[in-house]
Amino acid sequence: MINPGIERLYWLARLRWIAVAGVVLTVFLATCLFKFPLPIFPLVAVSATLAAYNLIFVVLLANVKIKASNPAINRIANLQISLDLFCLAVLLHFSGGIENPFLFYFIFHMIIAGILLSRRAAFLQASFAILLFCLMVALEYSGGLAHYPLSGFIINSQYRNPAYISGTSFVFISTLYIAVYMAASISFRIRQREKILKETNSRLEEKDRIKSEYVLHVSHDIKEHLAAIQGCLEPVAGGITGELNPQQLDLVQRATRRTAKLMFFVKALLGITRIRLNKEIKMENFDFRDALSEAMASVASKAGEKNIALDSKIEPGVKNIRAAKEYIQETLTNLLANAVKYTPRNGKVNALVEDKGNNIVVKIFDNGIGIPQAELSRIFEEFYRASNAKEVERDGTGLGLSIARQIVELHNGKIRVESEEGKGSTFIIELPK
Amino acid sequence: MAQILIIDDDPDIVEAMKIVLESKKHRVDIAVSGAEGLKKVKTVKPDLVILDVMMETADKGFEVARTIKKDPKSKDVPILMLTAIKEKTGLGFEKEAGDPDWLPVDDYCDKPLNPLELIAKVDTLLAKK
Repeated sequence: MINPGIERLYWLARLRWIAVAGVVLTVFLATCLFKFPLPIFPLVAVSATLAAYNLIFVVLLANVKIKASNPAINRIANLQISLDLFCLAVLLHFSGGIENPFLFYFIFHMIIAGILLSRRAAFLQASFAILLFCLMVALEYSGGLAHYPLSGFIINSQYRNPAYISGTSFVFISTLYIAVYMAASISFRIRQREKILKETNSRLEEKDRIKSEYVLHVSHDIKEHLAAIQGCLEPVAGGITGELNPQQLDLVQRATRRTAKLMFFVKALLGITRIRLNKEIKMENFDFRDALSEAMASVASKAGEKNIALDSKIEPGVKNIRAAKEYIQETLTNLLANAVKYTPRNGKVNALVEDKGNNIVVKIFDNGIGIPQAELSRIFEEFYRASNAKEVERDGTGLGLSIARQIVELHNGKIRVESEEGKGSTFIIELPK
Repeated sequence: MAQILIIDDDPDIVEAMKIVLESKKHRVDIAVSGAEGLKKVKTVKPDLVILDVMMETADKGFEVARTIKKDPKSKDVPILMLTAIKEKTGLGFEKEAGDPDWLPVDDYCDKPLNPLELIAKVDTLLAKK
């Protein structure tokens, strides 16, 4: 992410390009269209100076790594605004001085200063602008500097009229200070709010982390007890402790099945919480083809039971990928298992892996029950299960796709789904190599 | 028929495993802590150790495994490590298991272990020995 301070400097540079174009256009219109006798050379020279230092500045900004420390950025912004003010004063001097209504364009710099700089620096810039203005007015008044009248625009020269000078100066000075004050106040409030938002956000993140830790501990404790329950039930259900009568066997088997379901759910919950807490994952280089074939193998028996044709095709360019192998395999297994689960008997489940330069794209097709259009956007949410999925399969955690999404996003990848109810679904994962 | 030592601090899991293993005519001894386990390895001289990871400390099982494998008297005793910590830590043992310095165990499995799997794993390890 670009540092906001540096981003603002780029903004200033963009504004300056507009200003240069504006000055050149105005000079062109004034001299060619309205035939004002303006000294073109100095005006163009000032515009060229503006353009030149803006160019240098942009090149420097792009090439020199400015440490994002605020004092440096502020110094650069300060320097530029001062240079701009000086250029504007020179432009004004060559185009009618105090008689030129463009003198109020100083207000734009005051607004910029109010936003970019500290309150004190912004007021100093306003004072500098006023100093330049007064100097220009005084020197033109006293004859120290030549006056370039806007003949044809201002009929009677006013640059030596004390009443005009004092009135205009008063309006000018007060406008500049008020502009700085307002811009600085608004910007200060916005920054305060930004700061509060940031603090609130980091507090929320911390709370979320604490909540995840809590879920992790609770789920782990539940899992330990469940493991013990399962460990005790299974020998009984398996007849190791002796024959059970049919009723006893039925009840024990029910209990075993429910425990297994609960265990599956707790494991999924642990999985998703673990991923959430481990923002940084351990990456390794591995052959993507291995991960896919292992995932295919793990769902093969389920597919066989339903006589589902399971097939995969991998483009030749697909080889190594840098990723967390265990997680990627889990994601592939998850999506394939879902496809098999929600595809009726004698259906088809295909995986296609494409090589797209820096990315690997995995598409998992099925001709199963599909997902209702209205629910497509929600199926990656935690605990969400599509309405037709619940009809086909009563049990399900609603966590599988959410885990898949989190894993893919941890790899800076993307996951999406295309589906038509009754016809099938395609899950598409894009992973950087 | 073999002498098996279960080192695990969960009495219910221990009892269930004991019943399963005894059904296969194995003799089963129990230790409910890592420290007790290490003592019993010397006195019982088991043919196989089934070892839990999280006991007195979160990785006590690792320490126990290393100590057993360092001792010339017990270094050939196969260890089957049981764990319920995979989901919590994200730590799979695929790579670590078998590394003599890090985790010198002969096999590992995630808790709970279904009776048939337990019997199969125990048989395989005893046969290797």
